[in-house]
Amino acid sequence: MNRRYLVRRLLQVLPAVASILIVTFAIVHAAPGDPVVAVAGESGNQEYYAFMRAKFGLDRPLPQQFVTYSANVLTGDLGTSFAQGERVSTLIAERVPATLLLMGSALALSTVGGIVLGALAARRPFGPFDLAVSTAALVGYALPVFWMAQLAMLTIAFRTGWFPVQGMTDARANWTGLHHLLDVGRHLALPALVLAASEVALITRMARTGILAEMDRGYVTVAQAKGLSATGALVHHALRNALLPVVTVVGTRIGFLFSGAVLVETVFGWPGLGRLVLSAAQTRDHPVLLGMVLLVAFSLVLANLVTDLIYARVDPRIRYR
Amino acid sequence: MNKRLTVAALALTLLTAACGGDDKAKTPAPSVQATTPTTAAPVRGGTLVVAISSDPGSLNPAVTSNGGVHTASEMMFNGLVGWGADGKLAPELADSWVIEGGGTTYTFKLHPGVKWHDGQDFTSDDVKFTFEKALLKLHSRTAASVGSAGVTITTPDPRTVVFTFPQPYAPLLQQLNVTEAPIISKHQFESCTDLATVASCPANKAPIGTGPFKLDSYSITEIKMSRNANYFKPGLPYLDGLVERVIPDTGTQVLALENKEVDWLGSVPGPDLARVKANPALATAAAPRGSGGGNCITTVIFNMKPPAGRPAFFADLRTRQAVWAATNRQQAFQQIEFNQGKVADAPIHSGISFAHASGLALPTFDVAKAKTLLDQAGWKDEGKATRIARGVQGVPDGTEFAIDYHGFVGAQTTYGEVLRTQLKDVGIAVTVKTEDNPTFSAAVFTRREFDTGVASYCNGDDPEIGVRRQYDTKQISTTAFSNGAGYSNPEVDTLLDQAAREPDPAKRTPIYRKLQEIAVRDLPYMWMTESAGVRAFTANCTGFNHENTGLFAEAASCKR
Repeated sequence: MNRRYLVRRLLQVLPAVASILIVTFAIVHAAPGDPVVAVAGESGNQEYYAFMRAKFGLDRPLPQQFVTYSANVLTGDLGTSFAQGERVSTLIAERVPATLLLMGSALALSTVGGIVLGALAARRPFGPFDLAVSTAALVGYALPVFWMAQLAMLTIAFRTGWFPVQGMTDARANWTGLHHLLDVGRHLALPALVLAASEVALITRMARTGILAEMDRGYVTVAQAKGLSATGALVHHALRNALLPVVTVVGTRIGFLFSGAVLVETVFGWPGLGRLVLSAAQTRDHPVLLGMVLLVAFSLVLANLVTDLIYARVDPRIRYR
Repeated sequence: MNKRLTVAALALTLLTAACGGDDKAKTPAPSVQATTPTTAAPVRGGTLVVAISSDPGSLNPAVTSNGGVHTASEMMFNGLVGWGADGKLAPELADSWVIEGGGTTYTFKLHPGVKWHDGQDFTSDDVKFTFEKALLKLHSRTAASVGSAGVTITTPDPRTVVFTFPQPYAPLLQQLNVTEAPIISKHQFESCTDLATVASCPANKAPIGTGPFKLDSYSITEIKMSRNANYFKPGLPYLDGLVERVIPDTGTQVLALENKEVDWLGSVPGPDLARVKANPALATAAAPRGSGGGNCITTVIFNMKPPAGRPAFFADLRTRQAVWAATNRQQAFQQIEFNQGKVADAPIHSGISFAHASGLALPTFDVAKAKTLLDQAGWKDEGKATRIARGVQGVPDGTEFAIDYHGFVGAQTTYGEVLRTQLKDVGIAVTVKTEDNPTFSAAVFTRREFDTGVASYCNGDDPEIGVRRQYDTKQISTTAFSNGAGYSNPEVDTLLDQAAREPDPAKRTPIYRKLQEIAVRDLPYMWMTESAGVRAFTANCTGFNHENTGLFAEAASCKR
């Protein structure tokens, strides 16, 4: 890997994140609703409100607020939550594991599931299985994730009783060890499946198209002429080359996956970053909202970088300068 | 001579004091069991899971009247006086009280041996501290009522608290429960009650109380409490633990209840009620009070005093009368409330029986009359979809009758949709603005930049608690859920003061009737619906006190 390329790409992160920060800062402060009233209550005590405004720095001109905030961010300080009174970095760190678990499970399910389904569909193009998978993928991709989550809750969790409808653990139990893991797994299953559903649809389509394109290439024909079965040629030759666009899609979908996670977490009561964002938006908790935007912006830019790096691993012909 | 009364007769205490020609009344402490239902032998142990709608952000109920904070935290605290399961006042932290001077002095004797969750003694200093440093400053309802009445609090000894008012103040006892006046510990909050520290006080997230449950952990998704083994009411609570789980969507709350993940819902949405009632595994009960208070009326607010530069659409009485006449409140009630509660027939809720006036001449639904009134007010039908101002009081000529409607809770916003449809028929265009609480409060109460809005005004158990704030001139303020209409009538102000000073409920009745007649004449608000909440819980859990909202699970138990 070219180190200069890596440094250049990392430096490109800064203006992208700074732009996002400026826009978000302006939007958050322009939004209706007073964070002081949200936090300090409805007493109407103007002296108290004025104090709180000064305490949060909201009495200063907006450009000054932005400069102060940016300077703090550069030193690694994301500020203190208006509503929670805790460091934003602490609040985020507390909730990252739950969201990573949900997103990671959904990403693994959708990637593996999408590639397997795409490969199976590509074996008999336009056959019954392919048509069924393509139709299901289209439907899955078209459905809004929050609606799918509510549908899954009503039809699967509630009607069958197989899955809980809320939370990460059973509220009445204090399990540890394996019991705890199983409990979390039972609560995780449905949110992860819902979050994976729209992604699996897209990856299935990408994998199927890619594999079909590769199966028509000469090297696959040669492999088959040398006695390799169609499945063998697909798995050992076509699949790896067909994965390049899939990797691209997976990398660029991290942001969509996160926004989906916010909605799925809200519907299923999953205690992750999504719930933190919702709570911060409801209480006009500017530092938390801005901290979350920064985190997501950084994550997206880094995900794109990692995607580029994986390209080179998947396709040795790719070189970065 | 002192008159000893039982708790069942406590509501008559003030009346007795006044009518008996004796200015002293005393109530003894009844047994705790009198305040709790005894329908089934309680089972010790287990955890009750309660659904709450939002992360409260704080667990200190003394510095706010925010319903979310109160719902989440009240089970850890007590008031001086509570509500028994029979709906009557019952001793709590105060064992007994004496009322003297026709209601100018209230002397409370505190229960002996009460401990805070950290083991320290509860004393009268805690009561004085809570009122002076928190409730009278920051709890909007208590500050507006008890605070406005000019109370001073003294503590002659660690077990005695004296409230003294410059004028007789009748409704104090109804304002001392855990919702209106939760008592917090001086030693924990002492360093946090100046304006510099109250909101960011670490204790807000980890408070100690005297209540039946103590806090184990708090997160934005879940609050866990465990049994207070040293609770001052012997044997209570029966439950080992209580978990409050944040489930924002009310429909999902019902699903979680039906799926046995949750045991208790404070309120069931109308569309789900029939299904819940049909479920043999669940039980329901009327909810006379909520964390925002009791006896609530969903009310449309007419902005009679908008800021300079904003058309005063509702300054003219005829315009307000026209909107009343154009609104089919019965239809709105059926469509939105699914027949839960009833259409309001007076400005004061029928739950406050001594103050509620029946037979008032509220405007009836009459579209033709609405059009005539609008014509008379200067709102002319010029063949367009909306009427145009031609000589309307407080509105520039040529202004279209296009108004906004602010609402922040689902069902309340839906009233706006119904109004939009109904008012369109008389040439009034309504834009419904669905907002969250901070946005709504800022627009309607802080900036007054609104034409109409909707709020659930909870009247409480006495008009002084939740009615005064709507009509008193002094309550035209930036305080949320105060006099949103900007209504000012010196006669009404006088009546409010007169009623507050009158200790005899029978004598207060005609005063409040007169007040309501004037309100119906002036129509600063449109009283839509007396909402009736319904609680739901798993049928194998019993012993809930549906009257004492904050401490509903104090004597609850569940068979698993």
